[in-house]
Amino acid sequence: MTTLAARLLRARPGSSAATLLALTLGALILTAMGVLVESGLRYHPEPVRYAAADLVVARPDTTFTSKEFDGETYRSTVALPEGGTVPVALAGTIRDLPGVAAVAVDENIPVVTADGSLAAGRGWGSAILSPYELTAGRAPAREDEVVLDAGAAGGALPGSRVGLVVGGVLRSYEISGLVTGTGTATAFFTDAHAAALAPRSGGVTAIGVLAAPGTDVADLRARVERVAGDARVLTGTDRGLAERSADRAAAGLLIQIGASFGGYVALLIVFVVAATVGLSVRHRRRDLALLRAVAATPGQVRRMIMAESALIGLVAAVLGVPGGLVAARWLTGELTGRGFLPASFPMLPGVLAAPAAAGVVLVSAVLAGLLAARRISAVKPAEALGEAAAEPTGGGRTRLIGGLVALVAAASAAVAAVAVSGQTAMGAALGMLYLFVLAVALLAPWITNAAARLLTPVLRTGFGTGGYLAAANLRANARGSATVLTSLVLAVGFGGSVWFLQNNLERQAVAESRSGLLASRALVSGAGLSGSALAEVRAIPGVRSATPVRHTTVLAPLMGDGESIGARAVDPATAGAAFDLDVTAGSLTGLRDGAVAVSRTQSSMFGWDVGDDVELRLGDGAAVHARVVAIYRRGLGFGDVVLPLSTVAGHTATNLDDEILISAPASADTALRAVAARHPGSTVVDAAALTGGLAKDLALSAWLNRLLIGVMVGYTVVAAANTMVMAALARRRELALLRLVGVTRRQVRRMVNAEQFGLLGTAVVLGGSIAALTLSSVVRALTGSPVPYVPPLGAVVVLGGTTILALATTVLPIARLLRVPPIEHIGIKE
Amino acid sequence: MRVQGLTRTYASDGEPVRALAGVDAAFLRGTFTAIMGPSGSGKSTLLQAAAGLDRPTAGSVWIGDTELSRLSETRLTELRRGRIGFVFQAFNLIGALTVEENILLPLRLSGVRPDRAWIARVVERVGLGERLRHRPSALSGGQQQRVAIARALATRPEVIFCDEPTGALDTTTAAEVLALLRGVVDEHGQTVVMVTHDPVAASWADRVIVLADGRLVHDMPQPGAERIAEHLAALGRKRAVGAR
Ligand SMILES: Nc1ncnc2c1ncn2[C@@H]1O[C@H](COP(=O)(O)OP(=O)(O)O)[C@@H](O)[C@H]1O
Ligand SMILES: [Mg+2]
Repeated sequence: MTTLAARLLRARPGSSAATLLALTLGALILTAMGVLVESGLRYHPEPVRYAAADLVVARPDTTFTSKEFDGETYRSTVALPEGGTVPVALAGTIRDLPGVAAVAVDENIPVVTADGSLAAGRGWGSAILSPYELTAGRAPAREDEVVLDAGAAGGALPGSRVGLVVGGVLRSYEISGLVTGTGTATAFFTDAHAAALAPRSGGVTAIGVLAAPGTDVADLRARVERVAGDARVLTGTDRGLAERSADRAAAGLLIQIGASFGGYVALLIVFVVAATVGLSVRHRRRDLALLRAVAATPGQVRRMIMAESALIGLVAAVLGVPGGLVAARWLTGELTGRGFLPASFPMLPGVLAAPAAAGVVLVSAVLAGLLAARRISAVKPAEALGEAAAEPTGGGRTRLIGGLVALVAAASAAVAAVAVSGQTAMGAALGMLYLFVLAVALLAPWITNAAARLLTPVLRTGFGTGGYLAAANLRANARGSATVLTSLVLAVGFGGSVWFLQNNLERQAVAESRSGLLASRALVSGAGLSGSALAEVRAIPGVRSATPVRHTTVLAPLMGDGESIGARAVDPATAGAAFDLDVTAGSLTGLRDGAVAVSRTQSSMFGWDVGDDVELRLGDGAAVHARVVAIYRRGLGFGDVVLPLSTVAGHTATNLDDEILISAPASADTALRAVAARHPGSTVVDAAALTGGLAKDLALSAWLNRLLIGVMVGYTVVAAANTMVMAALARRRELALLRLVGVTRRQVRRMVNAEQFGLLGTAVVLGGSIAALTLSSVVRALTGSPVPYVPPLGAVVVLGGTTILALATTVLPIARLLRVPPIEHIGIKE
Repeated sequence: MRVQGLTRTYASDGEPVRALAGVDAAFLRGTFTAIMGPSGSGKSTLLQAAAGLDRPTAGSVWIGDTELSRLSETRLTELRRGRIGFVFQAFNLIGALTVEENILLPLRLSGVRPDRAWIARVVERVGLGERLRHRPSALSGGQQQRVAIARALATRPEVIFCDEPTGALDTTTAAEVLALLRGVVDEHGQTVVMVTHDPVAASWADRVIVLADGRLVHDMPQPGAERIAEHLAALGRKRAVGAR
């Protein structure tokens, strides 16, 4: 069967070219995504900072437990956004355990060096955990002495003095010694000084344990676990988990992007390839009927179609996988360049991803072949005797029922999306999008039929005889054009909603920030601002108010998982002068310890109301019970949760503020700049720049979303284009016949134009309506106004793109067919 | 082989069309039968049902001791493979395969090793020796029909069914093809059932069956082309009167 399939394939390369193209592109995308997932999954944080410790006691994550319906307990572990701490007193307890040679507590103190780069501040006692070795000078003995590694020293020698910004304050130190080690730029203080500077008093980042010679580490671990409470005791490569690293976050991001996106693409491939294989089967109906009549059993024909698909899949894998590896490299470069991925992240070459992607492509191809082959049983051997291989129009009853069910489900999702607000509405809207597209895919034959009937008068007046023929063709070929209709509706509906949703989100965030911001200036710092900066700003004459703001993340239980929510901690006393959150219920006057304000979007998702007591966990895992005192609108601009600074103090990684919002006249600018100069790393910006910064951050994260959506929509469009070219070229006989009976070339062209107008017009109208409905429900949930913003250029791209697609995929191939004398295409030589 | 009470109704959109309304006929081994009748009288439908390409609505088809309506699609295919051959009016060949591959296709599909000597004889008989490696598109209409006959003969079937095998050919080429079919009956003792509307073509047969409106209206030993034409003309007049 395989040889016969190969022969048939070779003779008709055109009919399989579309399938090959779809599968090759699919293999390319899947391989690239596979490399991301593989690199993310196989990434294991190598212990660097704690490489020399036998055990590390730390709290890198927090666990949410919930009862399932069946009574089972469901646990979900979430990495702590600010990193957890362990009580410093635990170090003493562990030191007394048998088998312990040494114990060192480790702090993580944010340090900015003279040249403005970041370094890790630690106590000298923790140097043995890595380890760091002195290469010159001696250990720090006084409070103003420091030991630096080469990265932090920048060429300075022992005995010289350096200025370091520690805890947001510029201090002067004498270099007592230099060390070498494997970690990042590091500054070692005396243990006592480090403890005093520690951002979180009473808690330390980690406790490292060195086992005495001859001690069994597993036994020691069990002993330590007994006293460690809810902290985790890590050994082996797991020690890396205790090190806060950008690589770990990046690994999570890679898995998330690759898996979710790869999953969608795999589904798309099956859909697209099933369509192209189905079409090629349909175009070869007569051949297949002949095979059946001559002597092939239905099973043999089915196996032949599947063998054919598998062969194409194999070729596609060979072509697409290397392309995917190149694409993965490009994508890695882009992700690194845009700061999604640290340059140090170990990307893997894809030794598992490549075969996996090839496997998925092959399986998709065979699956698609199977779907198409199911139709073979409908090919009657008697059709081989017919003068024309007629295919049944319309779809089956199951298809109709399935389509109607999907449509009803989509409609109820639409009702839900309109009725509810907030995050729930977003979920409902996206569900609605998928259901509508599914409904269109199933109902496509009936939709084209109805559209053709409706459009008949329009096409007739617009295109004359050609239009009349076009309407008849659309009706007769309703099933054949189902694939094109579905692909286009998918592309327009999906692209139009998800792509423009990004625009709406960005615009809304910037608009909220702009209209809500009352302060005219801000002092911002990537390294963090201390209380001293605040005091200095407040002391400047003319400054009416100064409000410290800290950006952090809190966790709240949602359906058994810990949901991360972007939060701002503010000074409640002065917050009212800095920004207006547009409170819709309650009031911010009650914002004090034990109280929170929540955005409308989040409150509707969690079902919170003013007066409710809610359970939150701060970024370091500390549990907080708080009462909701206010619900506000401007969540996109100012974060979804607003807490008092006092609540998060001691619970963020640096324990420093990110910005100070200032209301002051222009006369205060000089004095403000002087404050900034005394706090290296900080700058004074005006309100417009603050909002602009937000827009830039958003645009950055939107880039990734856009890239992924763009590739998906592009793939769908290629699929649609593919199918249309295939369908156009398969019409040579029909067109030749029309011309022989006296239809002029011009009329044929007009007919084809009219068909495209009808088909693409229907697709754009349907896809556009679905996109508009989705977009409007999501935007209403976000902003309260049902009118979404559609960038004019975007609308032009959608409409222009569809027109170009129509021209390139049908009108041009048909024009080529028309250049050949019709007699060449007719007759019994097929 | 024989058919009994054969009825076939097509359930198209509107009214059901009764293409065959109870036909009884037997085709003896080693005979050449022509099926004739006006267009739309059910000739092709009868042929398809008799050949196991289509399932009748009612009635039975026997090939030897086997009743076809009870067979599964796969068993039916296997039966067609071994005991039945076909020649259609056009589109008989798979364009992707060479002449030789087309001829051997049924054997290849059934996984039977071809009898080289027999195939060589068949090829010689149809006179296609030099064209075996060509694609069907390089052959004339008559040559294509001869390839189709060669393919039908390749499995040494008991019956060969032909639906207007000369419909698309000029008179000279048609005569070559008909002579070939005649020879198959005379020299190898195979049975040939051929649908045609051409009295001249029918005159090559031993016996002529005439259908009208799905019923068998004449069954006669081959009386010569002129008599056949007269019969058909009379039938046409009756129908015209009936229609008025
Ligand atoms: N697939 C079909 N669907 C519906 N009606 C059909 C089909 N095939 C044949 N018919 C109808 O059955 C009748 C007999 O057809 P056919 O056997 O092809 O006639 P003939 O070969 O004698 O010209 C005609 O009225 C024709 O319209
Ligand atoms: Mg016929």
